[in-house]
Amino acid sequence: MKKYILSFALSCISLLSFAQNNYEKVMKEKIAKIETCKTPEDFQALANDFQRIAEKETTKWQPNYYTAFSYIQKGRIMMREGKMQDLDVVADQAQKYIDAAGSTDKDNSEIHLLQKMVYSLKMMVNPQERYMTFGMKAQEELTIAEKLNPDNPRVSLIKAEDTYFTPEQYGGSKTKGIEQFKTALGKFNTFKPKTTLDPDWGKPEAEYFIGLGTSTTK
Amino acid sequence: MKTKLLFLVSFLSFILSFSQIKITGKVTFKNKGVSEVNVTLKDTYDGATTDLEGNFSFETTEKGNRILTFVHPKYNEIEKTILIADQDVYMNAELKEQINEIDAVVVSAGSIEASDKKRATALLTPIDIYTTAGADGQISSALNYLPGVQKVGETEGLFVRGGTGTETKIFMDGSLINNYFSSSVPGIAGRDRFNTSLFKGNIFSSGGYSALYGQALSGALMLESVDLPDQSSYDFGVSPIFLNGGFQKLSENKDHSYGATLGYSNLGLMQDVFNFNTDFIDAPRGFNGDANFRIKTKSGGFFKYYGMFDNNKMGVKTESLEPGYDFTLVRLKGENTYHNLSFKQKFGKYLFNTSASYSYNQSDLNFSTETNDIESEKTQLLNDGNYINFKAVIDRKINKISALRGGFELNYANEKLNFGEVNKNYRDLISSAFVETDLGFSNHFSAKIGVRGENSSYLNKTNIAPRFALAYRLAKDWTTSFAYGLFFQNPESKYINSSAQLDFQQSQHFIFQVQRSTEGRSLRFEAFYKKYDELIKTQNIIPDADQNQQVQTAFNNNGNGFAKGLELFWRDKKTFENIDYWVSYSFLDSKRDFLNYPVSLKPNFAAEHTISLVAKRFIPEWKTGVNLSYTYAKGRPYYDIVTQNDKNIIRNEGRLKDYNSLNLSFNYLPNLGKKDAKAFTIFVVSISNVLGTKNIYGYNFSQNGSRSSAVVPPVNTFVFVGMFISFGVDKTQDAINNNL
Repeated sequence: MKKYILSFALSCISLLSFAQNNYEKVMKEKIAKIETCKTPEDFQALANDFQRIAEKETTKWQPNYYTAFSYIQKGRIMMREGKMQDLDVVADQAQKYIDAAGSTDKDNSEIHLLQKMVYSLKMMVNPQERYMTFGMKAQEELTIAEKLNPDNPRVSLIKAEDTYFTPEQYGGSKTKGIEQFKTALGKFNTFKPKTTLDPDWGKPEAEYFIGLGTSTTK
Repeated sequence: MKTKLLFLVSFLSFILSFSQIKITGKVTFKNKGVSEVNVTLKDTYDGATTDLEGNFSFETTEKGNRILTFVHPKYNEIEKTILIADQDVYMNAELKEQINEIDAVVVSAGSIEASDKKRATALLTPIDIYTTAGADGQISSALNYLPGVQKVGETEGLFVRGGTGTETKIFMDGSLINNYFSSSVPGIAGRDRFNTSLFKGNIFSSGGYSALYGQALSGALMLESVDLPDQSSYDFGVSPIFLNGGFQKLSENKDHSYGATLGYSNLGLMQDVFNFNTDFIDAPRGFNGDANFRIKTKSGGFFKYYGMFDNNKMGVKTESLEPGYDFTLVRLKGENTYHNLSFKQKFGKYLFNTSASYSYNQSDLNFSTETNDIESEKTQLLNDGNYINFKAVIDRKINKISALRGGFELNYANEKLNFGEVNKNYRDLISSAFVETDLGFSNHFSAKIGVRGENSSYLNKTNIAPRFALAYRLAKDWTTSFAYGLFFQNPESKYINSSAQLDFQQSQHFIFQVQRSTEGRSLRFEAFYKKYDELIKTQNIIPDADQNQQVQTAFNNNGNGFAKGLELFWRDKKTFENIDYWVSYSFLDSKRDFLNYPVSLKPNFAAEHTISLVAKRFIPEWKTGVNLSYTYAKGRPYYDIVTQNDKNIIRNEGRLKDYNSLNLSFNYLPNLGKKDAKAFTIFVVSISNVLGTKNIYGYNFSQNGSRSSAVVPPVNTFVFVGMFISFGVDKTQDAINNNL
């Protein structure tokens, strides 16, 4: 008898705790998925997952942050595939969730960095025409993100990417880029997210670029 | 035992209540699966995203009556109630298309927009104008490389689809610009007075344009001036033919800005270097300046002011066709000023847009002859014009893609002409009212219906011009549109030299278009038919014995004509790496009986075939952009028409040789990428007509018709070298970011 009561109680407790920590559990599960997403479709599905959470958890900035981030990643893949036609739509979606995240947590370096990434996407739709507006705005946001948290490794990562992909004639360079990826990696090694749900992406990317070296890719 | 069982049952039911129920289904639109739909069990984390076939599947522990939502940015959101018990649930959904601005088909028959506002597939961007070789950075010249525009070198203006240069009107922020081109002497085209960088975009319509615009039989060019600049800046430009400098200052809180520029140009230096066809006794030179301010009000209104002045001077000497004189001389002095103030503000669903402009234009032409190095008395032709334009438009959005707009426009012109004994004072007030509606029926089908009414105080007549256009999306990348319109234009005041009773001239446009646009590529096909009625007929007034300028006067509106044609435009940024090119072809068949034409003739400004090619390439290693353009136009007809015994007769006629021109330009950006550079420099070298082809624009005839001379460009091949420096803003970045 006692056994039954015990097992019943235990299962109740486990179920209860399951219910309580559902938010964290689901978030962790979804955040883990970021690394496995490869295609724009993958990231769209992930964005939808985070969006569902964001709609319920209106007081937290992370679900909105990750929704926006998933859209940005989707956009970045589309950009690499040369699909500029729909980039504006994806960037506008991301913007919605950045605004939502920003309204719950102002002056967050991570959110300003996403804002930078959205402006960069919008610029890429038509760089010649849009550099003066979106290119400048992107630069401003990056500066703000860095000022808010100089130790944010993702700020260094995105900076390094910009340098890496800018041709030498325009002040970029693969060598300089790699140096900056190394700086970023250094910051990744010491960086501790405030909570387990805070952004912690980007380290593999830095390692990937360092691994590529300066010669292999364009 | 009983208690055991009870516990077990309650435990099982407890477990059951947490057990997972599978929810599956398919989301479709018009029986086709839709991917990327976000399916959510409302107020839970549970849900899924549909796959490529529109299928979705997820599990939930929720129970009871629940709501399933289906969300996709391109469709309307759907909610469905489901009952979750202990069985798997299957629920399908049929989506409804969401009508929105991005996906809605737009009427594009007859018009090409140079803008970055909406989509990445825009046919042209404002920068395309600067990087078109042979355009000299002038908007109107760049448009010569688009289908429907005729290459007419001797006269300024946009000659659209068999229309004369004065049949295309140019507007700035909705306001008519009178005298958009600088004053010119016969045979040498005037230049754009307005700096290309003033405008953030434009819509060029070669027919069937909106009821908001009038007084143009053939086409309209609507220029949109820039809003607040992104940053404060200073810039200078230096070249052997001009010198200019300017600044733009943006306030700290980015709510207002002001700026000004000054410039001086003189072709004199180049006269010694190049072998000019034209003998300039006074090299073309001019002085110009402009100023602007822009203010954003706290309530969301936006004021824009732009004002400019310029003067230009030149003198040309040509061998006389008349016996007894060695040379004929013509000297020009031009003065011009233009001021435009516009205001717009949103009030809820209403957008209020108003603009007022004033311009003054004076051209002072002096004709004389020279015999044995002795110049004769000068005959003066003095033109003075004052123009006021006012326009107000209210725009009301009806739903996302439909709108209703209406307003009125006043155009006042007061022109004085002094020519020998002739003193003419011409005054006209054209009052217009218009309404127009954009109707979006779905993302696939839209229509524009409008009507414009005009009254001219000079003619003492009123007209009503209905216009409509339809657009339909045939398939994902294919759209088609059709436009019809009636257009009226007053007779040009320069032909009003007697007291004849005149009426509006009119034209009807029928335009059919098919367009395909995909990532990096656009294809456009247009067919049009244009019918002219009530064109003015003129006779030559016996010209002054001392010079060759014919003066024509209109005596009735019995003229008519037609133009029909096919046009093709192909732009491709994708096929060749780093190369962006476009090709346009126009076929034009036109005949007119107007002005002094004795019968219906192929107009002397209409070439049957015109082909243009524009190609651009940026070479990052050299920090250099290379641009190329080529134009071929089949020889136009020419006529020598005179009035004899009150009848117009053709004395001489023929066909010009075909027109050919290959142009090249290079932009070199030495400071590219130097992040700490304080000044940013662009060097420009452009060579027009590289091959030195000797093109002929027409012929002048002596008064008795026995002698003639060719009208040719002032110079066959011209090389322009210039340097532009800017401080404060790295403008070189504009050019390079495409290549990142």
